Amino acid sequence: MSAPEPGDEALLARYRSGDGPAFEILYARHRLGLYRFLLGLSGKPELAEEVYQDTWLSLIRSTSQPQGRANFRTWLFQIARNRLIDHWRKHGIHNPLHDSYDEQAHAVIDEATDPEQLLSLSRDSQRLETALKDLPADQREVFLLRVHGDLDLAQIATLTGAPLETIKSRLRYAQQKLRRMLAEEVLT
Amino acid sequence: MTDARPTPEDEVVKHFREHATSEPPAHLDSLILGVAHREAPAPKPNFWQRWVQVCQKPRWQVAFASLVGVALMLALVQRTPEQAPGYDVVPAPKASAPVVKKEASRALAAPAAPMADVAAPAQSESINAERAEEAKVAKRAAAPAITLDEQLHEVVRLQNAGQAQAADTLMKALHKRFPDENVEARLNEMPRN
Repeated sequence: MSAPEPGDEALLARYRSGDGPAFEILYARHRLGLYRFLLGLSGKPELAEEVYQDTWLSLIRSTSQPQGRANFRTWLFQIARNRLIDHWRKHGIHNPLHDSYDEQAHAVIDEATDPEQLLSLSRDSQRLETALKDLPADQREVFLLRVHGDLDLAQIATLTGAPLETIKSRLRYAQQKLRRMLAEEVLT
Repeated sequence: MTDARPTPEDEVVKHFREHATSEPPAHLDSLILGVAHREAPAPKPNFWQRWVQVCQKPRWQVAFASLVGVALMLALVQRTPEQAPGYDVVPAPKASAPVVKKEASRALAAPAAPMADVAAPAQSESINAERAEEAKVAKRAAAPAITLDEQLHEVVRLQNAGQAQAADTLMKALHKRFPDENVEARLNEMPRN
């Protein structure tokens, strides 16, 4: 019977006390999710790489730990998100996450509710990427945190500072739009 | 009981997870892992390693050396030989004159070199023991070693042996030694064979 794998917080604590290999495990666990989140949110590989590198280096050089009820994953994605917002602010780029999107006004009746139709969702990565870019930034962010951060709704609400109900509706609208866009692509 | 079937929304999340292909570039991985390895905090030393490190710092070395010095001085002060109790007040009887002279000469010599005793505490201890023993002998000598009755027994024995002159000499000595005693009367009370 093998021992349970150590948690992220335990690995971080081990690294902070001089256990170098503990960081390698931690990095391997989160490298893909964090990178895909940043790439999807920024839409630019160069910017995603820059923020990705900054995030990990700040974690390496920091002595801080996840605070309060935040776990390591939430903490990591919070750092990355803050770095990306800082980059936009520093370069005078408008922060799209501040746009308040009125889901009610843009709501489209979803007629594609047949689960079997989901099998025909496009698997073309370029089309997936395009569909993501077509989402409003705040919905895209919630969807990416759910998909690549594997965060639950409460954690996303904590991370973004938005009410839980708002997060729920953003995620629901994002999923409906994506399903419709990808299904349409296949059908046409 | 909740419906465990995945909703269409969950399928979208799963679909995106399964078909995501982007990865961080290899050079970023090696850079980040290299920095992490290079800048990993030094392992925290255990208690003894920290103790050794502290001892290696000059200011702590001085502090510890001072502490040890003070402790040594206190230990030496505690072990300084005590004066022989009641040594000088022991009356010196004539019979023990040689012992007293010897004692006096040592008593004069010993305090003249107190630091020598400090330098050799073991030797000092043996001297102390010897002095204590001699003081006991001196005390015994100072006390009337042979009682008047015993002396009178000797006088009777001499008289019985026909050594009248020796008996008279001893009687004279007893008169001098015990001037307050009625030696003649005591002699008469002595049992005779």
